[in-house]
Amino acid sequence: MNERDNFILKAKRIKLIEETKLKESSSMEVNKMDIDDRRKSNFSSLGPLSTSNGSISRGNSSNNAKGDIRKLVIKNFKSKPSLPENYQEHTWQKLKEAVVAIQTATPITYCLEELYQAVENMCSHKMDSQLYVNLTGLAESHVKANIRPFLAERIDKLLYLKKVNECWQFHCQQMIMIRSIFLYLDRTYVLQNPTVHSIWDLGLELFRDHIATNSTVQSRTVEGILMLIEKERNGETVDRTLLKSLLRMFSDLQIYKEAFENKFLIATKQLYQAEGQRKMQELDVPEYLKHVDKRLVEENERLLHYLDQCTKLQLIFTIERQLIAEHITGILQKGLDQLLEENRVADLSLLYSLFSRVKNGTIELCGSFNAFIKTKGKTLVIDPEKDKTMVQDLLDFKDKMDYIVCNCFERNEKFSHSLREAFEYFINQRTNKPAELIAKYVDMKLRAGNKEATEEELEQILDKIMVLFRFIHGKDVFEAFYKKDLAKRLLVGKSASVDAEKSMLSKLKQECGGGFTSKLEGMFKDMELSKDINIAFRQYIEGNANSKELAQFYAIGIDMTVNILTMGYWPTYPVMEVNMPPQLVEYQNVFTKFYLAKHSGRKLQWQPTLGHCVLKARFDQGPKDLQVSLFQSLVLLLFNDCNEMSLEEILQATNIEVSFDGELRRTLQSLACGKARVLTKIPKSREVEDKDKFKFNNEFTAKLFRIKINSIQMKETNEEQKATEERVYQDRQYQIDAAVVRIMKMRKTLSHNLLISELYKQLSFPVKPADLKKRIESLIDRDYMERDKDNQNQYNYVA
Amino acid sequence: MHFLGMDDEDKSSDNEQSKPDKMFTLKRWNSVAMWSWDCSTDTCAICRVQVMDACLRCQAESKKDATNKDVTCVVCWGECNHSFHHCCISLWVKQSNRCPLCQQEWSIQRLSS
Ligand SMILES: [Zn+2]
Ligand SMILES: [Zn+2]
Ligand SMILES: [Zn+2]
Repeated sequence: MNERDNFILKAKRIKLIEETKLKESSSMEVNKMDIDDRRKSNFSSLGPLSTSNGSISRGNSSNNAKGDIRKLVIKNFKSKPSLPENYQEHTWQKLKEAVVAIQTATPITYCLEELYQAVENMCSHKMDSQLYVNLTGLAESHVKANIRPFLAERIDKLLYLKKVNECWQFHCQQMIMIRSIFLYLDRTYVLQNPTVHSIWDLGLELFRDHIATNSTVQSRTVEGILMLIEKERNGETVDRTLLKSLLRMFSDLQIYKEAFENKFLIATKQLYQAEGQRKMQELDVPEYLKHVDKRLVEENERLLHYLDQCTKLQLIFTIERQLIAEHITGILQKGLDQLLEENRVADLSLLYSLFSRVKNGTIELCGSFNAFIKTKGKTLVIDPEKDKTMVQDLLDFKDKMDYIVCNCFERNEKFSHSLREAFEYFINQRTNKPAELIAKYVDMKLRAGNKEATEEELEQILDKIMVLFRFIHGKDVFEAFYKKDLAKRLLVGKSASVDAEKSMLSKLKQECGGGFTSKLEGMFKDMELSKDINIAFRQYIEGNANSKELAQFYAIGIDMTVNILTMGYWPTYPVMEVNMPPQLVEYQNVFTKFYLAKHSGRKLQWQPTLGHCVLKARFDQGPKDLQVSLFQSLVLLLFNDCNEMSLEEILQATNIEVSFDGELRRTLQSLACGKARVLTKIPKSREVEDKDKFKFNNEFTAKLFRIKINSIQMKETNEEQKATEERVYQDRQYQIDAAVVRIMKMRKTLSHNLLISELYKQLSFPVKPADLKKRIESLIDRDYMERDKDNQNQYNYVA
Repeated sequence: MHFLGMDDEDKSSDNEQSKPDKMFTLKRWNSVAMWSWDCSTDTCAICRVQVMDACLRCQAESKKDATNKDVTCVVCWGECNHSFHHCCISLWVKQSNRCPLCQQEWSIQRLSS
């Protein structure tokens, strides 16, 4: 233990004694203790004793709370003790010696208790103010003298800082010891005079006025500190304890802001301004972001280790400003697309978290995100070369972007909204095609034989498809193509799952309303009704087996079923007349008669292109069941009578080619050039030519008993697609008419603009206002509505 | 001689097609037919909607009650054989009791069922 520590211990003991005395005498209220405790907070730079808010007040008004003062009651002593002459001078001399000893770090000759008593005595005899003045003078001259070494030229910067710190530390310790001796003065005189500084504050003031704010000392110290910080920022290790102590000194002296912080922030700004520009050039975006992140961590550590917390806001703001805000556009232009393209999840998360720190950061990011989706999405949609993979690409793209919004952009509502907006925008950049391909994609998934997905997986796929569907403006185009495929699935019994079909239908209904799906639902209903009709027809035939006409059929033993479709619900199919075996023709006639008898006012149109059959075939290797289209079976049946037929002969016999271009060739191709070659073509080749001849292939073999011979689908020609689209456009007129009448019927009277805006809400396809106007005119002509007599812009419903 | 008959007088041979020496025998036949109202025109001349669909007013209704509209909006044939939605012609005859297409006096021949 050195002398000084010893002294502090003694001082503490005195304090204890004094406190007991106070309690005994009870001449002062205990509240004083509180004041004392508050004062203690000034011992800031002294390790365990210090508390965080070491501050002093600079002005004359002391920080003594008024409430405390009011409570002080000083009682008079009962009798005034008389003092020896020269007492004051003598006692001061003693005290002065002790103070000088402390200041010069030499042993004190007097006992500490004696000194303390001396102060108390002087105070009791109204010498307190003089004592305070004397003490002030003594302290001041000492502090003043201390400045000299700091004014010398050419001192190493680090050494200089260490010296300043040493001086400060020593000053604080001195003041604590001095205060211990003069504690009584602090607690009586100082307390009673609000304008008088406590001894501790006095010490701080002296140090500040005579040393710390000396322009040379201050600028050199601050320069030194800034130099150390810069070194640290450049990666060197510096004495953080020294920095912390010096900055605490500035804080305690209440000159942290003026002396240090401003210059520090300017230096920070300059450093990072240059650094930001340089690093943006040198680094790629992910590296740059990591660098910024590292800088932020470092500066926060600086705040933790030595900077005052009050600097935090401005410091972090400066860095964010210089390293992020200033480079928002640069970063987004240089790197965002690549990050999104390459799915750099971690980098994107960092980008988002850094950008959300600065004003407009996420807004700008969101804008670029949106632009990326639009550009990228357009390339997926616009190129006919990519049509085959368009829908899968769109689904994958959506998944990817969703994942990024969820995992990198904190599910920010703005981003998910922007994502949807961008999808809706680009997907409609190509008219009709995406709608058509989405419908085809659904068909592929719902078709039997698609065993890649379980029911749940299928359901998930459909949900995802619905998300894309929602973006499509021409929803009726989707419906038209969807209907075509649905018809095929239903008629050929190719649907993978009735549940999945129904589920898809209800999704569409939910999305677009009952009007949208009523025809699709009608198709399912037709299938159900057809079952009942077939049962009734069979009963009819069996019940009339005695009649000569029906008995014939019964004998043939053909199992005939008919699907009766409601015109308008289903797609339209080409009508063609082909030559059929007379029994089949008659069979049809009987059915027609039967049906029309049940449903008056109807007519039936047979659709041979949709018919399909099972043929029993007898090959040398054994019998087979062939699943074929009606056309295929019409051709095959010819070979019951002829061994060899030319294309021309087959054409004559069936009449298939005449009414439907290319159909006969395709049919023959499927029978003679496909996988299951039940006919032999002479000469052998892949294409069917005019002069070709066909023979029954007796040697046909196959592993399975039941063989499906796929008919070769005519490639959907552009004209056909155009026709489908054309039908959609025509249908739109009806839908517009119906919507106008619906709205007018409900509202009775409506202005033109309101009607138009209502229409846009209800219609599931894009229309031009001019087209709407035409429909409205047409409805006025047809007396469904009229213009208001007084207001040309207003319509009234005509009941 | 059987089945594919240019010469369909030869009906007597029909029964032979079940003989076992045929290379191909038709076992099952799944055929498809489309039904529509037996009308001279596909479109109702009054509302200009297909007669197979509900009339314009009924379509306007259908959003509110999505019930079976075929039942409510039937087709009506006049003695002149012209046909319209029943809804449409009913409103029409209140104005003039003549067929909008041929100007004959309108009288109902039958309604669709
Ligand atoms: Zn009508
Ligand atoms: Zn109607
Ligand atoms: Zn008529």
